Amino acid sequence: MASYRSRRSSNTLPIWNWVVTIGSVLLCLLILPVRLPGMDIVGVGPNWLLIWVVAWSIGRTSWEGVIAGITLGLLQDSLTAPFPSHILGLTIAGILTARLHQRRVLQEDLISVALLVFGLAIIVETAMALQLTAQQMFSEDPLHVSLGSIWLYHQRVALSSAILSSLWAPVLYYPLKRWWDKYRVRD
Amino acid sequence: MLDLRRWRDKNELKSGLALLAVGTAIGVYQTNGAPINEAFQFLAKPFHLGSPPEQLENAYILDLQQRVVELENQNQRLRELIDYEKNSGLDVTTPAAVIGRSADNWWQQLTVNKGSNDGVKEGDFVTGPGGLVGRITSVTPNSARVLLLSDPSSQVGAKISRTRSMGYIRGEAGSQATMQFFEKFPDAKVGDVIVTSSFSRLFPQGVPIGRIAEIDSDKSPAPEATIQLSVPVSNLEWVDIHPYTPKRDVDAAPAQIVTDDNP
Repeated sequence: MASYRSRRSSNTLPIWNWVVTIGSVLLCLLILPVRLPGMDIVGVGPNWLLIWVVAWSIGRTSWEGVIAGITLGLLQDSLTAPFPSHILGLTIAGILTARLHQRRVLQEDLISVALLVFGLAIIVETAMALQLTAQQMFSEDPLHVSLGSIWLYHQRVALSSAILSSLWAPVLYYPLKRWWDKYRVRD
Repeated sequence: MLDLRRWRDKNELKSGLALLAVGTAIGVYQTNGAPINEAFQFLAKPFHLGSPPEQLENAYILDLQQRVVELENQNQRLRELIDYEKNSGLDVTTPAAVIGRSADNWWQQLTVNKGSNDGVKEGDFVTGPGGLVGRITSVTPNSARVLLLSDPSSQVGAKISRTRSMGYIRGEAGSQATMQFFEKFPDAKVGDVIVTSSFSRLFPQGVPIGRIAEIDSDKSPAPEATIQLSVPVSNLEWVDIHPYTPKRDVDAAPAQIVTDDNP
C-alpha cells in the first residue's frame, strides 16, 4: 500500500505540482491590481507576491528562495515599472525565510508565518524606499522630489502593507504549504 | 568524478527549471507584463459589462454643457482666425472602464479595458468626470496602463485659470497635489481653478486639474499651494482617453529639444 502510494504520487507529482505552483503565481499576479473591500488601507493592498515567496521558501534552500525572489520580482516589475525594482526586496525575503527556517528560528504555524510576513513586508518596502533614496541623491532626474517625501510615504505604505499582508498571509500560505508538503519530492 | 556526476544528475533538473522560471519572467518583463495584463483584462471582463453610465439628465448641467460647447466653438474659430493652435486635441475620445489599480504600493496607476485595438496609444491623456486623471504609459491589445496625476513622479506644468499665474504640480499619492509657483508673489487665492499650462509637454494646455485648497506663502524659494484634484481618483470607474502626442521625447537631451521645437 505504502509503496503503491509513493509510486503514484511520484508519478503524478511533477505536472500537477508545477500546475499548482505556476497557477498560484498567476493568481497572485492577477489579484495584485484588484482592490476588493477589506483588502486595502488608504489605497495600499496586501503584497501577495511576498506571501508567495515566504510560503515557497519555508523548507527550501536559500538558492530556491533567491530564484523565486528574482522571478516574482521581474514579474512584478513588468506590471509596474523597471525602477525601483521589486527583485531586491523579494530576494531578501526569500533568503531570510529559508535561512530562518533552516536555523529553526521559524516554526511553520500560521502565527509565526504571519509575524514573519509582517516583518518582511516592512523590509520589502524599505528596499524600495532605499532604491528611491539612492536615486534621489545620485540621479539628476529623480522620481521623488525630496527624501522627506519618500520616507513619509514609506511609513504609510510599509505599515499598511505589513498589516494587510500578515492578515492575508494564511489564506495563501496554508493551502500552498499543504500542497507542497503532500507532494514534496523525497530524494 | 562520481560525486560531480551525481551532483549534476541531481541538480540538472533543478537548475534547468530555475533557468526556465527566470527566463519566462524576463520574457514577461520585456513585454511590460502584456500577457498578465491581457489575462487580467479577460478575467475582469464579466464584471465590467455594459456601457458608460448615462450622463445626469439634469437640465442645469445640459444647459451649461451647451454653453460650453458654444464657447468652445467660438474659441476654436477665433483661434483659427489668429492661427494660434488648430487642434484642441479633445475631438475623439474613447470611454474606458477602470478594471484594476496599481500592482504595487509605490506607483499610482490604473488599468483600463481599452487598448491598441481601440486606437489607444502611449502618450494619450486620460480624463475623468471633473478633469485630468493621467496619461497612458503602456498599451496591450485590450488594456492600457495609466500613470495617475497623483503619482509622486508626475509633474505637470499648470496655471491658475483666473490670473494665468504659472507653476507646476506634483502628485502626493492621494487626492491632493502640491503646486509650486514660478513667481514670488503669485496672484492666487483659495478656490482658484488650476488648469494645465502651455509648459506641460505631456498634456495639452487648458485641461482642468483641480482647485486650490490651501496656500503656503512662506515657503521658500517660491510659494506652494495644496491642490484638491477634481477627479475622485480613489473611486474612479470610468475614464475618457483622448488621443495626444506629447510635444517631445521626455528623455531627449536639452539641445535636441530646442531643435525639435524650433526647426
